[in-house]
Amino acid sequence: MAVLLQSILSGMLIGGVYALIGIGLTLIFGVMRVINFAQGELVMVGMYCTFWVFVLFGIDPFLSVVITMPALFILGALLQRTLINRVLDALPQNQILLTIGIGLVLSNVAMLVFTSDYRILSTSYSSSSVGILGIHLSTPLLYCFLITVVITAVLYWFLVKTDIGHAIRATAQDRDAAQLMGVNVRHMGILAFGLGAALAGAAGALVAPTYYIYPQVGGAFTLKAFVVVVLGGMGSIIGATLGGILIGVAESVSGTYIGSGWKDLCVYVIFLLVLLLKPSGLLGKSRL
Amino acid sequence: MNALLEVRNVSRFFGGVKANVDVTFSVEPGIVLGLIGPNGAGKTTLFNCITGFYPPSRGDIFFDGQRINGFSPDKVCKLGMARTWQKVRPLAKLTVLENAVVGALCRTNSVAEAKEIAFEQLRVVRLDKRAGVLAGGLPIGERKKLELARVMATRPRMILLDEVMGGLNARESEEIIELILEVRQRGLTQVVIEHDMKAIVRTCTRIVVLNSGEKLAEGSPQEIVNDPRVMTAYLGDAGGAKA
Amino acid sequence: MKTLVACIVVALALAVVPLFIESPYALHIFILLFIAVALGESWNVLGGFAGQYSVGHSAWYGIGAYGAFILLQQKQIAPWFGVWVAVALSVIAALAVGWITFRLRGPYFVLASIAVAEIIRLLSLNTKDLTNGAEGILAADLPPLKFGNTVITDWISKTPYFYMGLAMALFCIAVNFFVKRSKLGYYLQAIREDQDAAHSLGIPPTFSKNAALAISAACTALVGSFAAFYIGFIEPNQVFGIDVSIQMVLIAIIGGIGTVAGPVLGAVILVLISEGLRTTVAQAHLLVYGVLVIVVILVMPEGFLGFISQRLRRKAATR
Repeated sequence: MAVLLQSILSGMLIGGVYALIGIGLTLIFGVMRVINFAQGELVMVGMYCTFWVFVLFGIDPFLSVVITMPALFILGALLQRTLINRVLDALPQNQILLTIGIGLVLSNVAMLVFTSDYRILSTSYSSSSVGILGIHLSTPLLYCFLITVVITAVLYWFLVKTDIGHAIRATAQDRDAAQLMGVNVRHMGILAFGLGAALAGAAGALVAPTYYIYPQVGGAFTLKAFVVVVLGGMGSIIGATLGGILIGVAESVSGTYIGSGWKDLCVYVIFLLVLLLKPSGLLGKSRL
Repeated sequence: MNALLEVRNVSRFFGGVKANVDVTFSVEPGIVLGLIGPNGAGKTTLFNCITGFYPPSRGDIFFDGQRINGFSPDKVCKLGMARTWQKVRPLAKLTVLENAVVGALCRTNSVAEAKEIAFEQLRVVRLDKRAGVLAGGLPIGERKKLELARVMATRPRMILLDEVMGGLNARESEEIIELILEVRQRGLTQVVIEHDMKAIVRTCTRIVVLNSGEKLAEGSPQEIVNDPRVMTAYLGDAGGAKA
Repeated sequence: MKTLVACIVVALALAVVPLFIESPYALHIFILLFIAVALGESWNVLGGFAGQYSVGHSAWYGIGAYGAFILLQQKQIAPWFGVWVAVALSVIAALAVGWITFRLRGPYFVLASIAVAEIIRLLSLNTKDLTNGAEGILAADLPPLKFGNTVITDWISKTPYFYMGLAMALFCIAVNFFVKRSKLGYYLQAIREDQDAAHSLGIPPTFSKNAALAISAACTALVGSFAAFYIGFIEPNQVFGIDVSIQMVLIAIIGGIGTVAGPVLGAVILVLISEGLRTTVAQAHLLVYGVLVIVVILVMPEGFLGFISQRLRRKAATR
């Protein structure tokens, strides 16, 4: 029983990060109907950012989130302005190919600049754990989850309570109507992609202490983010949050009980099942 | 005379929306039936039910005596019923000829034979000189004619035309009216959704009026045009002006 | 007619290459080119004609590779028989997958195709008894190819692989050519342009898409078997990886999607780039691929072939 609980809780902790990446993806899809295949590579950029800030300036990864997020926001906004904006009316398949291309460029530039050597970011608390009621939770993962909660809460507040947040949600619901209401939808697109990238960057910063850092790490994150988003419903932030937690738990539990080689398989099978049985996901689309 | 198409008590619901309610009418071979009604009356929904894009929620549809509820669209086309679309749907990256060939391949496995059939239909609608043009580059009038040629190439026994004159100018509409009359003379049965009352009166043998999903009236063009209920349905109670 | 003659001339020219060029490296480049052409043409049947962008075609490539390899290793079945079994297996698998995934449209189909390939990759990593897992399988020596009692080749030099590769590439091009002109080809292109309109014209979408998938998967599996024997070693990440899938898509997209000649052009471009950059930095070619696909999508969605023919048409129009 304790093993199951441990497994579930660990899964929830990492699930928070999956949720962050998924929220970024779903935000981009919601506002622009673009499926960003480079989301995982943006996480990777965030990881490297965090790593070098730590190595060069000694700033703790969980603190340097405040540096990484704006940096990735700028990167995302640039990508949108120069590339993504031009394919908003193209076939969805072509949009996917464009973002695949962006992902290829990002991961291979990283490889040329940083080599494909695995980097490890070790902090003083990297291998420590916290004991709560007989269950041991990895300290970095715990911090990671707590910060994820904070970021998600701030994001919800932003979307629900501020004018710009309303404008973003309006654009996601009906682009033309929003435009007629005076919303600058081009700016919303840049904002959405910037935010999506910032969230990916945050996720990268938060997992940097726990994962190996290397240029190809993005691919797995992208795929997992898709599972999260499809499970929760394309375009639904609440859905992505729930989906992230669920996938984290599913992965952790299947890893514990079936075997670590099979946990990814489980996740993809869940993915296929959702695509086939309820492609609109748990919460459906067009609701941020 | 046995009806070619029989729509019996057909209803179609989308959740709480009643798009069609208890609609009944028959279409004998060789006539042109006009299907009219204000926007949102359920005309296109009825077409979609008849041609198999979704089954009716209630009621039955018979084609040539056979119950076709739930038949897939390609099966319906093979049986002999072809339809055009309210918003034209050209196969944009194919040429005009290739568009028509796609229709003609419904009846033959030979591409060469299909090309002949296709060319013949293009000649009928006077698009044969544009055979090599990409369909996506055509102006709206020619797109409508292409769609007509395309469904004719499937050698149908009945065609359903959904606002085939929508968005056309007077000369283009006249061309279409003449094509409908010509096709009628060849014995092809047609059901035509239209808003252009002059065209309806000239081409149709009989008219069915839909309003808010229900059949409001049925009769000859003269009867319908003079029916005050039809006037009210289109114009509200401010009625009076002849369409 | 002119193009047909040109193609025959090129094919004959290629056929005599090994008589004049003996450098194994040069022959190797040609073989890589033939593999790339064949892969691009295979993908094109489903992605280009039917418009179903599968980014999971590595599944069929890998099944072809593992099928033929395992039959040789464990049952001593010569590859020229084993490969047909592998092809049949991949077609069966493809049809099963198609039955599941073709109800999804556009981007959802893309995602599903990726998930399927990943599932197959993970399965092959985990079923060590059959596939040897991540350790992979080293090819046994190929039995000599005999006609009666005369040995045609021992598979030692690159020359037999050259001719096999050439034959395979020509075969896939021919498949493309004939499908495009056939009733199925017209139906697939109609589905690509507007599936509902196609449906209303008497076209069965599921059957047609599955037919395209079967042809595409069969050709891909054929190439997979050949490539596996040529390289001599396979392991799950190498044959089932998403990079294989992506590169297949790139060959067709960069060259010119939906055309017969496009994937040939794409293959030439991509192989030349990858070999040209091999001596500088490893994997730098992937960066160039990424830039290329971005450029193509933004500036020339019809690929280099479309771009070139547009230029030629404009020149002809201004004369």
